[in-house]
Amino acid sequence: MGRDLALIIPEIAVLLTAVGALIAEMLRRPRISLIIAVIGLVVGTGLTLRLLGTDTTVFGGSFRIDTLSIWAKLILLPATVLAMLLARVDVRGSAREGTVYSLLIFSTLGALVLAGAGDTMFLVLGTLLTGLATFALVAYPDTDPATEAAMKFFVFASVTTAIMIFGLSYWFGASGSTLIADLPAMDTMPLAVILGFVAVVVGLGYKASLVPFHFWAPDAYEGAPLSIAAYLSVVPKIGALFALTQVVRDLPPETGWAAVMAGLAVLSMTYGYLAALVQDNIVRLLAYSSIAQSGYFLLGILAVGSSELALPSIILFAAAYAAMNLGAFAAAATTGRTLSDFEGLGRTRPLMGIAMVIFLLSLVGIPPLAGFVGKFMLFGAAIDAQFTWLAVVAIVNSVLSLAVYLRIIVPMYRAGESASAATDPWHGIVVITAFAATLIIGLAAQLFIV
Amino acid sequence: MLPLVSLTLFLPLVGAVLILCLPKPTARTVHGIAIVSAALTLVGALAMWLQGVSGDGFSQVEELEWMPAIGAAYRVGVDGISLPLVLLSAVLFLVSFIYTSSLRDRPRAYVALILLLETTAIGTFTALDGILFYVFFEVSLVSMYFMIAGWGHEDRQRAALMFFIYTLLGSLPLLLAILGLYLGSPDPTFDMRAWIANPPLEGAAAMWALIAMLITFAVKIPAIPLHTWLPAAHVQAPTVGSVILAGIMLKFGTYGLVRFALQMTPEAFREAGIVVLVFGVVSAIYGAFAALAQTDLKRLVAYTSVNHMGYVIVGVSAAALTLDPAVRATALDGAVLQMFSHGLVTGALFFLVGMIQERAHTREMGEFGGLLKTVPLLGWSFVLAAFASLGLPGLAHFPAEFQIFLATLGTTPIAVVVILGIAIIAGTFLKALRETFLGEPRDRWNKMPDLSPREILAVAPLLVLTVATGVAPSWVLDVIHRTTSALVL
Repeated sequence: MGRDLALIIPEIAVLLTAVGALIAEMLRRPRISLIIAVIGLVVGTGLTLRLLGTDTTVFGGSFRIDTLSIWAKLILLPATVLAMLLARVDVRGSAREGTVYSLLIFSTLGALVLAGAGDTMFLVLGTLLTGLATFALVAYPDTDPATEAAMKFFVFASVTTAIMIFGLSYWFGASGSTLIADLPAMDTMPLAVILGFVAVVVGLGYKASLVPFHFWAPDAYEGAPLSIAAYLSVVPKIGALFALTQVVRDLPPETGWAAVMAGLAVLSMTYGYLAALVQDNIVRLLAYSSIAQSGYFLLGILAVGSSELALPSIILFAAAYAAMNLGAFAAAATTGRTLSDFEGLGRTRPLMGIAMVIFLLSLVGIPPLAGFVGKFMLFGAAIDAQFTWLAVVAIVNSVLSLAVYLRIIVPMYRAGESASAATDPWHGIVVITAFAATLIIGLAAQLFIV
Repeated sequence: MLPLVSLTLFLPLVGAVLILCLPKPTARTVHGIAIVSAALTLVGALAMWLQGVSGDGFSQVEELEWMPAIGAAYRVGVDGISLPLVLLSAVLFLVSFIYTSSLRDRPRAYVALILLLETTAIGTFTALDGILFYVFFEVSLVSMYFMIAGWGHEDRQRAALMFFIYTLLGSLPLLLAILGLYLGSPDPTFDMRAWIANPPLEGAAAMWALIAMLITFAVKIPAIPLHTWLPAAHVQAPTVGSVILAGIMLKFGTYGLVRFALQMTPEAFREAGIVVLVFGVVSAIYGAFAALAQTDLKRLVAYTSVNHMGYVIVGVSAAALTLDPAVRATALDGAVLQMFSHGLVTGALFFLVGMIQERAHTREMGEFGGLLKTVPLLGWSFVLAAFASLGLPGLAHFPAEFQIFLATLGTTPIAVVVILGIAIIAGTFLKALRETFLGEPRDRWNKMPDLSPREILAVAPLLVLTVATGVAPSWVLDVIHRTTSALVL
C-alpha cells in the first residue's frame, strides 16, 4: 500500500491542489487560489519527472504507472496551467474566479485517471470526473449561449456515458473481472467483446470528439468562454485518447478493433476538415480542426501492439497538439471570434502574427515544427502496422487542412484593420510559452521518444 | 577541423536572426548584414570546394545525434553532385542580395526571408538524413510563399497560394516514400547513405516509392503536366524571387531525382526509365514551344526553364536505363552540369528582365525595340545570356547539353528528337532579341538609364561564370565526374 501511494504522489498532489484552490476561494482569496493552483500543478509535474521509466501498476492492477500515464501528467499538467492563465483573463474579478481554477484541476485529475486506467471502473470514474467539472465550466458565464452549450454537452455526455457503462457490463460478464488486462481471457465470447468495445468507443469517442460522436463539440466550444474551449480541446481529449490506447493494448487483435479505429480516423479527419472549411467563426473552425486532429491520434492508437513507433508517436503528437492548439486558441483570444477579425493581424501586430502562423503551420504539419514530427511518427506507425492506405488518406487530409488554416493566414497578411487591442500580458505569456513549446518539441523530439 | 558544411549552412540563418533581433535597423544595416552573411557563406562554399570530394560516397560528413531512437540524426555532407549546387546557391544568393539592396519596402522581413531560404537551399543539397532533407525541402516553400505573397506583383496573393498548395501537395508523396524507405531498411534508419548503399526496397514497394518520388520531383522541376504553377508564380514573384525559384528551387526537383529516385530505387527506375524519359522529352519540347508562343519576356524565360529541366530529366533517365558505367557517368555529368549552368544563365536572364521591367513597367516584347542602342550594357548582357540559354558552344549550357545528348544517343537513340528543342529555343530567343533589342529605338525609351553599378555587380559574376563554364567546363566537371564515375547502381 505504501508503495502504491508513493507511485501516485503526483495524482495526490493534484487532488490536494484542487482542494487547496477551493479552500482559498471559500475564504474569498481568488489570487491565492490561482497561486496555489499554479504552484501545485508545477510541483505535480516535477514529482512526475522522477517516475520516468517506471512501468508498473498499482492497486491490484487497476491503475497503471506506465509511459502513457506518466507522459499524460507531463503534458496535461502544464497544459492546464496555460489554460488557467487564459481563463484568468476571462474570470478576473468575477464572483467565481477560484471555483473555475479548482474545477479545471478536478477535470484534469479525471483526465489523468483516464490516461492511466487499468480497470474499466477507472474509465467510468475518469469520464464522470472530467465530465462533471467541464459541464460547470462551460456553464459558468451564466449567459444564454453558455447555458445552452452546457445543456447540449450534458445531455450528450450522459447518454454516451450510460452506453459505455452498459457495454462495460458485458465485458464484466464475459471476463468476470473489471481489469482491462483480463480482457484477452474472454475471446471465447466474441459478441460480448465487440459489444463492449463499441460501447467504450462511444463513451471515450465523445470525450475525444471523434466523428460521429462529435456533435456537442462545436456548440460547446462556441458557447463556452474561449479559455474553456481551449481547455476542452486539449486536456479531456488527450485523457480520453490515452484511455483508448490503454484499452486497445489488451484487446485481442482478432476482434478487428484496428479496422474500427481506421474507419473512425478516416471519418474524423475528413469530416473535421471539410466542416472546418466552411466555418467563419474561428472557434467553430478550431473546434472542427480539433475533431480532425483527434483522427490523427487514431493512426497511432491502431498500431499499438504491432508497431514500436505507436506509443512514442501518440505521446509526441499529444505534446505537440497541446502546445499548438492552446497557442492557436490563445492567439484567437487576443484577436476575435470571426475570421474577419484576423484581417491585417500580421501587419498591425507582427509578433502575434508570426506566432499564429507558426501554430497553424504546425497544425498542418509543416516541418520542422512540433506537429510535423508528431504526424510523421504517426504515419510511420500506421504504415508499420500495414495501414499504408490510411497513411495516404491522412496525408491527403493534411493537404485539405492546409486550405483550412490558410483561410486564417491569408487574411492576416492582407491590408486590413485588425482590432489592435493591446495584448493582455497573461495571453502574451501563454502565446510565448506555446510558441516556444511548438518549436522545441519539433526540434527536440527525442525527449518524448522513450 | 572547422565544421565547414554546417557553418556554410547556418551562416545565412544567423544573419536572419541578427536582422530580426536588431531594434529598428535602417535599411542600409539590413542589406549590409545580408550581403556580409551571404559573402561569408560564399567563402564557406569556396572552402568546401577547395576541400573537394573523394570519389567514394560522401565527403566532409558532419554528424550529430538528433533522435537516435528512430535512427534520425543531423547528417550533412557533399559529393560531386551536390557540391556544385551548393556553390551555385552561394553565388546566386549573394548576387541576389546585391541586386535587392535598393529595396526600401519592408526590407527587414524580405531580407530575413531570403536568408532563411538560403539556409534551406544549402540544407536541401547537403542533408544526408531523410527527415532533415524533408525539413529543408518544405521550409523553403514557406519562405517562398511569403516572398511572393508579400512583395510580388498585382495578382500575388493568388499566385502565392497556388504555388504553395501545388508544391505542398506535391511534396507529401515524398514523405510516404521516405517512410517506406525507413521501414524497409533492415535496421530502420533515416541515414540516406545507408539507403544509397543498400536500396532498402524492392519489387512493387520500390516501384510505389519511385512513383511517389517522381510525383514530388515532377512538381518541383516542373515537368509536364505538373508545371502549371510555374508561369503564374514567376510572373507574380519579385525579381529575386524568380531568380531563386528558377535558379535554385527547381534544382531541388532534379537533385532529388538523382539522389532519391536514381540512387535509392535504381532497379525500379531502370524498369520505369523509358516512361520518365518520355516525360522528359515531352517537357523539353513542350517547354520550347510554349516559350516560343510568349510575348511577355518573363513568361518566356520561365518556359525555357521547363525546356532546360526537361533535358535534365532525359539525362537522368538515360543514366538509369544504361548498363554501361561510362555512358551513365556521361549522362549524369551532363545532367548535373546542366543544373549548374541553368542556375547561372536563367538567374542572369531573370535579373535582366527584372531590370527592364523596373525601367519600363512592362515586359511585353512588342512595346520595345532597339534597346541595344539605348541601353547597350543591359542589351549586350541579355544577348550573351540568351545565347548561353540557347546552347551556343563556348557558353555554359553547351557542354552540359552535349553530354546529355551523347549519352542519350548511346542508350535510346530515338530520344534524340529532343534536340528539336534546341532549335525551337534558338528561334524563341532570336525572335525576342529582334523585337526587343534590335531595330530602331523608340522615342519613349530614350531616357532609359543603362545598368547602374549595383546592377552590374549583380549580373556580371553570373555572366563571367557562364563564360568560364562554357570555355573550360572541366573546373566543374572534374568535381562532378569524380562522383558520377564511381557511382554503383
